[in-house]
Amino acid sequence: MREVDARGLSCPIPVMRTEEAIVDGVREIRVLVDSGTAKQNVANQLKDAGYAVAVAESSGEWVITATAG
Amino acid sequence: MTVRRAIGPSAWIVGGAGLLIGLLAVWLVKQGNPGNMGLCVACFTRDSVSVFGGAKAKMASFAYIRPELWGLVVGAGMSAFAFKEWRPRGGSSFLLRFALGFIFIVAALVFLGCTVRAWLRLGAGDLNALVGVAGIFAGVAVGAWFLKRGFNLGRAKRLEGGARAAGGLGLLVAIAMLAVVIAYASGTTFSNLTFVSKGAKSTAEGAVLTKTAVVKPAGASLQDGEIVAEDGAVISPAESVAKAKPVPGGTRAPLYISLVAGLAIGVVAQRSRFCTIGGIRDAILVRRWDLTFGVLGLLVGTFVASMALGTFKLGFEGQPAAHTVFAANFLALTVAGLAAVQMGGCPLRQMVMSAEGDVDAFAAILGMFAGAVFAHVYGIAATAAGVTTNAWIALAVMGTALLALGFWKSRAVA
Repeated sequence: MREVDARGLSCPIPVMRTEEAIVDGVREIRVLVDSGTAKQNVANQLKDAGYAVAVAESSGEWVITATAG
Repeated sequence: MTVRRAIGPSAWIVGGAGLLIGLLAVWLVKQGNPGNMGLCVACFTRDSVSVFGGAKAKMASFAYIRPELWGLVVGAGMSAFAFKEWRPRGGSSFLLRFALGFIFIVAALVFLGCTVRAWLRLGAGDLNALVGVAGIFAGVAVGAWFLKRGFNLGRAKRLEGGARAAGGLGLLVAIAMLAVVIAYASGTTFSNLTFVSKGAKSTAEGAVLTKTAVVKPAGASLQDGEIVAEDGAVISPAESVAKAKPVPGGTRAPLYISLVAGLAIGVVAQRSRFCTIGGIRDAILVRRWDLTFGVLGLLVGTFVASMALGTFKLGFEGQPAAHTVFAANFLALTVAGLAAVQMGGCPLRQMVMSAEGDVDAFAAILGMFAGAVFAHVYGIAATAAGVTTNAWIALAVMGTALLALGFWKSRAVA
């Protein structure tokens, strides 16, 4: 499991950090984001990379949990 | 691991958004907007600030608050609220983002269009925009290189308590802009503001006239086709009056059409995350094509609509609100493209993010306000006639500043 804290980072840094985890072959990735743009872009990226993706909201932030299929 | 999908469903959604924005933009031109200017964040920001004291800055001929632009912000804000994505945040290099917005618009006004209008111009056949788009690619490539080295402007923080109100600044400005233009269109006169009347034309001598009257200089009138001053002197002879050209601010679609189109574009842009810079940046950096589809959609939509309406015109010469100085077109959008990467997205996205509560994006918009005035006061903005010496100086200085910023801010964040 790897956690990527992408909160407060401008585009495209959340996607770049997530990409590192995907390329490293991490099978379970948790990404923390706090903007709608990052949430959507990272979720789409993980889905396209073949992960099963779940997005949960907690106290105004989003946690994207991705599990390799 | 499953095979990675290069193009997923989300790519088609962003592509559809781009297509729709392109179609709407061409339609807005048909409805009366300036040529290839259905939507231009740089031009429309400049036009809107011209209303506030623009006469002093020689910007009176642009003076009109563009409802497309501020409608876009309000539409994006409504969408952010409706989908619970309103997030007041800020604190990531406010002043640097102001500077980046400033540099972006000054450079865009040398090209004569932002990174959105570049694609609209290209889709309508303006080949100068092809040179400009090549410049965007160059600027984004440099920006991507800095991002790989760790470029960032620091983390934004969630705003808490009373500070949350600051997140509403972008929306507040947009609503105020719309309120003023609606009041103006409803017949309110503002003694401190400048508005160009719809359809106004200007002669080579600088006289301004509408269909019925001479509005500048004061006291002048139309006599036998000539513009004659109060003291009887001829200001503009008849042949000059016949050749009078529409002023940019007076060239516009009906207010409510512009407003509704802007609202629609705002909702679509907020939902899809459409970004003209991201479309190139993500392809270079992470081989993601979602946003690229948005840009392609924009190009295809503009092309199809221009062909359908018969406004497509291929070539370099005589294109609306454009000049043919290759190097300036290229360099201006190289600088603008790099600035946009450094601020995290194209100016349209800054507008959308400001509507979502992002105070840093609002800083970029304030920078664009200041830059628009600066570009006109110091004769940096280009005209159809070409570019000025000051424009070259400005591009050199701004390009150097962006490179310096790139090296300065290239380090990892915790």
